[in-house]
Amino acid sequence: MNTRSIRFRLTAWYAGLLAGSLLLFGVLTYMALGHYLALMLDESLTKQAQQISETLITNINESGDAYVIDEIKEHFAPEINGRFIRVTRADGSLLYVSGLPKDGSFDPASIPVSLAPPGQEFSREERLPQGKGMIIHALPYASRDGARFLIEVGALDQQIGSVLHGLMLALVLVLPIAVAVAIGGGYWLMKRALRPVDQITQSAERITSRNLGERLPAPATGDELERLSISLNGMIARLEESFQHVSRFSADASHELRTPLTILHGELEAIVQRRHLDTDVREAIGSALEETERLAKIVESLLAISRLDAGEVKMERERLDLADLAATTTEQMRLLAEDKRITLRCDTSRRVEVEGNPSRLKQVVVNLLDNAIKYTPTAGTVQVRVGAANGNALLEIEDDGVGIPAEALPHLFERFYRVDKARSRQMGGTGLGLSIVKSICAAHGGQVKVESAEGKGSRFRVELPLANGTHKPVE
Amino acid sequence: MRILLVEDEEKVSRFVVRGLVAERFAVDAVHDGTSGLEYATTYSYDLIILDLMLPGLSGTEVLRQLRRKDQTVPVLVLTARDAVADKVENFEIGADDYLTKPFAFAELLVRVKALLRRGPVSRASVLRVADLELDRLSQQVRRAGQRVDLTSKEYALLEYLMSNAGRVLSRTMIIEHVWDESFDGLTNIVDVYVRHLRNKVDEPHEQKLIRTVRGVGYTISDEAEL
Repeated sequence: MNTRSIRFRLTAWYAGLLAGSLLLFGVLTYMALGHYLALMLDESLTKQAQQISETLITNINESGDAYVIDEIKEHFAPEINGRFIRVTRADGSLLYVSGLPKDGSFDPASIPVSLAPPGQEFSREERLPQGKGMIIHALPYASRDGARFLIEVGALDQQIGSVLHGLMLALVLVLPIAVAVAIGGGYWLMKRALRPVDQITQSAERITSRNLGERLPAPATGDELERLSISLNGMIARLEESFQHVSRFSADASHELRTPLTILHGELEAIVQRRHLDTDVREAIGSALEETERLAKIVESLLAISRLDAGEVKMERERLDLADLAATTTEQMRLLAEDKRITLRCDTSRRVEVEGNPSRLKQVVVNLLDNAIKYTPTAGTVQVRVGAANGNALLEIEDDGVGIPAEALPHLFERFYRVDKARSRQMGGTGLGLSIVKSICAAHGGQVKVESAEGKGSRFRVELPLANGTHKPVE
Repeated sequence: MRILLVEDEEKVSRFVVRGLVAERFAVDAVHDGTSGLEYATTYSYDLIILDLMLPGLSGTEVLRQLRRKDQTVPVLVLTARDAVADKVENFEIGADDYLTKPFAFAELLVRVKALLRRGPVSRASVLRVADLELDRLSQQVRRAGQRVDLTSKEYALLEYLMSNAGRVLSRTMIIEHVWDESFDGLTNIVDVYVRHLRNKVDEPHEQKLIRTVRGVGYTISDEAEL
């Protein structure tokens, strides 16, 4: 998954924010509930203490101690409810203390008597020996006959704890589920929202200088994406126009250059063919003729490139065996290699069929091989291989020659780019050989790549789509 | 032999006329399509050299009307356009040969002569230049009676040179004739083959037959100086 995609980032932000706010909500709920429960418990303890004092203790001198004790037991049943109730006389003697609660969670006898400031009602928290906490409300009270009592009602704060624990459990379970649902839903929504962007991207990737006439889909949705498509289409239209302008210009320029070149060549040729010409004049005219010829070749090549790039040439294509083409061409050029005592190997044993223009593809082999032989020193090795991989026909031409400096590699296929300016011009050539190779490959829907290590050699690799219906050979 | 040249570029026309006249052809030159058609239909020519981009009537149109009038005179089309479609179209309406500008005059001349003879430049079964002999039937080459062993490419090259003996052949012509146009201009393949051929044919002998004409090409002849 691409962690830098808008889809991923938006979903992550969204999920993070959601998780954060849910967490905050949970913590706040937890704290508020705890507070509220403590308050409620305290209130119920206060109420019980008041009930005991107001309904029973007030009339204790008339009803008698036993009645009060029975009433407390009957009405409040502290053992069953898990409550602690204790009524102490002013002299410290015990009127009543509740028994061991049903679940035996605390021992009422072990709870020390609250030391209360006289006449004041208060709550305190008692730490029990087992580590449990008990909230105790103490109420000093005087009966009608003036006898003073301290009424204590208590309950374990465990009760609050268990409720809070339940809440915590619910939160811990629900929160991740909610976040997961949010991530999934968010991701899906983003995918839906960004699908048109994907489509635009795919269409945009298909558009090269060769099919600038194509446009991106611009569904009339009235949204930002429609605007994006429309403005991209506008940009492609401007590109197309300038491309056409450039290719028209180079075609016109090449054409306009031909006539003066014809004249120049014709006039010079007429002179050089005269008898009895001074040697130095003959040399000078000859040199001028050579340059005229080179100029003509450059014009020719530029025109060819601009035609190929503009996709103008409706190349006559046929199904052909690239291996056979490479082998034949290599044989025709063998003498060039032998002349430099270069070993020329050719591994083209298997048929590799492509759909293409034979003379153009042959030019690819000629140019690459010529280059390899030129830049391989005496007694080197040049290898030609034809094969297939991943649905592509491959043509590789590898040499162990001078190689190409890394900084030159990205420019190698540019027009007029020369790696070693002095040397390559001296070797002749137009500076357009590799540009033509690139244009021919592109016009066939393929490409050319180069790998090279300076001093070790270079490998040019041409990839062309295999002809339809060719079985993918297993490598 | 009478040739009509229809070419609107005056300078091109001038050097072509000069060159053809030097080769002892009679040449009429006109500079637009309308007069080109007029001349072609009025007088009898052995060959018409026709530029395509002409003022008035285009070269293609001139050619079409000529052929419609059942004029079978050979036509060599000359043009600055070299698109394959153009080439095909002009061959279809009856051009006999096609030469793209810029061209070497030597090439024009070879094509003109080929068209006028309507066949190979020389059909003789044995070609001779000085004491060099090439037998087309047995494909054997002898120099001063000694057999010279050549590879098939060397043989093709020598045959081409010898069948145009005394004429300078440009590298482009040699490449297109002996190899094919894919090799054009990008390799020194012609130079290498000529050197090998020289080593076999000329090296052991006093008289050198194969000569380089700088800036133009190669020629084979028994003349000491061109």
